Amino acid sequence: MKHSRLFAAGLVASLAMAGTASQAIADNDEITRGQLMAASCKACHNAAAAEKGVPDLSRVSAGVIQSQMRAFRDGEREATIMDRHARGYTDEEIEAMSVYFARF
Amino acid sequence: MHNFTRRHFLKAFGITSAAALTGIGLTPLAAHSAGKAHVVVVGGGTGGATAARYLKQLSPDMAVTLIEPNATYVTCYGSNWVLGGFESIEAITHGYDNLRDRDGVDVIQDKVIGVDADSRTVRLESGDSLQYDKLVMSPGIDFKYDDMPGIEEADAETIPHAWKAGSQTELLRAQLQAMPNGGVYVMVAPPNPYRCPPGPYERVSMVAYYLKTHKPRSKVIVLDPKEGFAKQGLFEEGWAEHYGDMIEWRGGSNGGRVEEIDVSGKTAHADGGQERVRADVMNFVPAQRAGQIAHDAGLTNEQGWASVDQRTFKSVMDDNIYVIGDASVAGAMPKSGHAANNQGKIVAAAILRELSGQEPLDPSSASTCYGLITLDYGVSIAAVYQYQNGAQAAVEGSGGVSPLGQSSTFRRQEAEHTRAWYAGITQDIWG
Repeated sequence: MKHSRLFAAGLVASLAMAGTASQAIADNDEITRGQLMAASCKACHNAAAAEKGVPDLSRVSAGVIQSQMRAFRDGEREATIMDRHARGYTDEEIEAMSVYFARF
Repeated sequence: MHNFTRRHFLKAFGITSAAALTGIGLTPLAAHSAGKAHVVVVGGGTGGATAARYLKQLSPDMAVTLIEPNATYVTCYGSNWVLGGFESIEAITHGYDNLRDRDGVDVIQDKVIGVDADSRTVRLESGDSLQYDKLVMSPGIDFKYDDMPGIEEADAETIPHAWKAGSQTELLRAQLQAMPNGGVYVMVAPPNPYRCPPGPYERVSMVAYYLKTHKPRSKVIVLDPKEGFAKQGLFEEGWAEHYGDMIEWRGGSNGGRVEEIDVSGKTAHADGGQERVRADVMNFVPAQRAGQIAHDAGLTNEQGWASVDQRTFKSVMDDNIYVIGDASVAGAMPKSGHAANNQGKIVAAAILRELSGQEPLDPSSASTCYGLITLDYGVSIAAVYQYQNGAQAAVEGSGGVSPLGQSSTFRRQEAEHTRAWYAGITQDIWG
């Protein structure tokens, strides 16, 4: 758990260095695994899908994304499909992806 | 023979490049910054349009050219809903204005007729040619009409496949509308592997949905060379509930293996000539292979698909060519729209990291295949894929199909999510 927090803190620090949240990833920035995972989620969790009732994750905080993904994964929140997705991720992976949604 | 020779040449070329990389430390390409590179993307379907958009969004200074023969793209996913009669073809048709104007992708309406890996050049039907640093091929599928006696590609004008959406979808829809009440719709399903594994079964659901309302004495027969199919339990549960005995599925060992199609008689011959199934509307979905340009470029294997390094989607035949979408061999990832969309993002990240001299990532992606049994009854199969031990594999314990025996509320929610999924993914790609 300590390890995860440190990992998340490192990501937040590198985000802060990368510039504003809405900026595209500049050439020299490294594309991370967490960013690629978040990009995958975005296909269903964007503004167009939100008009039909699926949450737009760019409007959800990293902390809420983390807690809800864990709740889906651990069976604490009911779902039609998110339980099946959430079981594919470790705590570390959930944290790594969660910080990117605000940038979309 | 020509292809075979070329493949070996390409392979040798790839090995030479790899050797140069080890020896000198940098290929000429790695010396580029990503921002100055030119990436050409072939095919403006789900995989190609995603790759072009994400390359440009991740690296705005990069030059990205997308080459697509048509002015618009009609998604195969969603096309069954047109057959069901509650979605228009316009609603599943997408253009390239936003990729061009907002993302800054150079979209060229033309057709690639040749790839020269040695000079890193693609030749276009218009006579132009383009040089690339990296080439992303997303050529989709083509059909193997030769595998079915009695029918050829030109017969799709009377016996549609409707497995590339657009005019074929409209033709099949018109035939269903013209079919008499009490008529027989026959789907001749394809052997594995093919685009959209649950697609044939969503299609017959949607045909039955239309017929139940408008021509309730009609019959739907699926002749299938396979012994089972994707989400079978869910589809059969939904069919029994909503369509009674209107839909009849015959598997390979139960008379479903079609051996010849009599085009003029709209009759399928199965089971060693024992079975003759006459259709009023016949929908033959042929066996499939990677799109033709992948073969012409020497990128396909003996089964007709493009083998890639599943970490980066780089072709095993060439160091500067990547193949994504239905044409590629992608381990556990299915030939689906959502997989192609994920592969467009994976390849964009892989190219940017390589051009920046960074190690490749071990990509992880989430995918959902939704399908409708009625307008208000949706089912899904979900998966999380990771690159593990040299292949794209489903993460253990994740994914799976919608549970059986659920309430109508659950099915309705999944039907709503099906439409949200469509709106979301098409926004992500072309919106």
